[in-house]
Amino acid sequence: MKNILDRNSNKAEENRKLLSGEKLMMVNIISSPGAGKTTLLERTCEALGEKLRIGVIEGDVTTDRDAQRLKKYEIPIVSINTEGGCHLDSHSISKALEHFDLGSLDILFVENVGNLICPSQFDLGETFKIAVVSTTEGDDKPSKYPMIFSEARAVILNKTDLLPYTNFNIESYTSDLRSLNPRIKMFQTSASRGEGLSEWLTWLVSQMGD
Amino acid sequence: MHEIRIAEDLSAIVIGAASRSGLKKVDRVSVCFGEFIQVVPSVFETAFREAVRETPAADALLDIEIIPAELSCLACGTTYDRESETNACGVCGSEEIEVIHGKELFIKSIEGD
Repeated sequence: MKNILDRNSNKAEENRKLLSGEKLMMVNIISSPGAGKTTLLERTCEALGEKLRIGVIEGDVTTDRDAQRLKKYEIPIVSINTEGGCHLDSHSISKALEHFDLGSLDILFVENVGNLICPSQFDLGETFKIAVVSTTEGDDKPSKYPMIFSEARAVILNKTDLLPYTNFNIESYTSDLRSLNPRIKMFQTSASRGEGLSEWLTWLVSQMGD
Repeated sequence: MHEIRIAEDLSAIVIGAASRSGLKKVDRVSVCFGEFIQVVPSVFETAFREAVRETPAADALLDIEIIPAELSCLACGTTYDRESETNACGVCGSEEIEVIHGKELFIKSIEGD
């Protein structure tokens, strides 16, 4: 039986080999729209920008607003406008990689299109995926979208400053996640307020050279 | 919406296979998707019809089989269906599990003449 997405998987493996040859870690960030991927990237660039050479591939459906927000960090950014497409694929990443001087980077973030289903089906050749969930989305996201949460190496629960105003149940969220992916690393942040970031940053740096 | 891209890749594979095998017309395409792929059959059918328009597969019947998730417990060895929203083992409660079925994305057969 032939895998329908062979073409994507093969290109993803090419990307993975290229990155591994350059000893470059690529992190594929997946979340719903508005969970805080870009804000998390802003805080991450602020904290690590002087120590590490960071690059970003920005996937956006119609605008380049997310890329604009990251320009102030003076890092290499390549924008992929999917023109309505709901996910990035390994071919668009391969083209984007051509625009970077890969040898001069330590870490490359891919901000995928905001969507919890489609991006999880398309291997980009990343070193690992992380998921971002926000407290206002509800605690049932892991159960509703099992694929991404069972594949992600880490999940960040963002907007914890809004917890008092939501009915988000951290216990049920945590136990759902554990049952989908016992090894998943969990973080809690309020990226907009800069809270809870140090654990995430320390862990992220510890994954380099894996 | 990932249905569109999967349908486009399927269409390319079907048309390529038909041409290599000398099929003038593709009559039937059978695919299977695991539960975790979250493909909506009606959406996939629409996307497939669009992808094969004006190709030898334009009139092909499309069979979609959804394969339920099947998990195996690494602690006690039980194999079980994912009945609730959790993946944990229903017998011993262990969360150390392995997905046996549920991530399929395969073409079973392509028929034509």
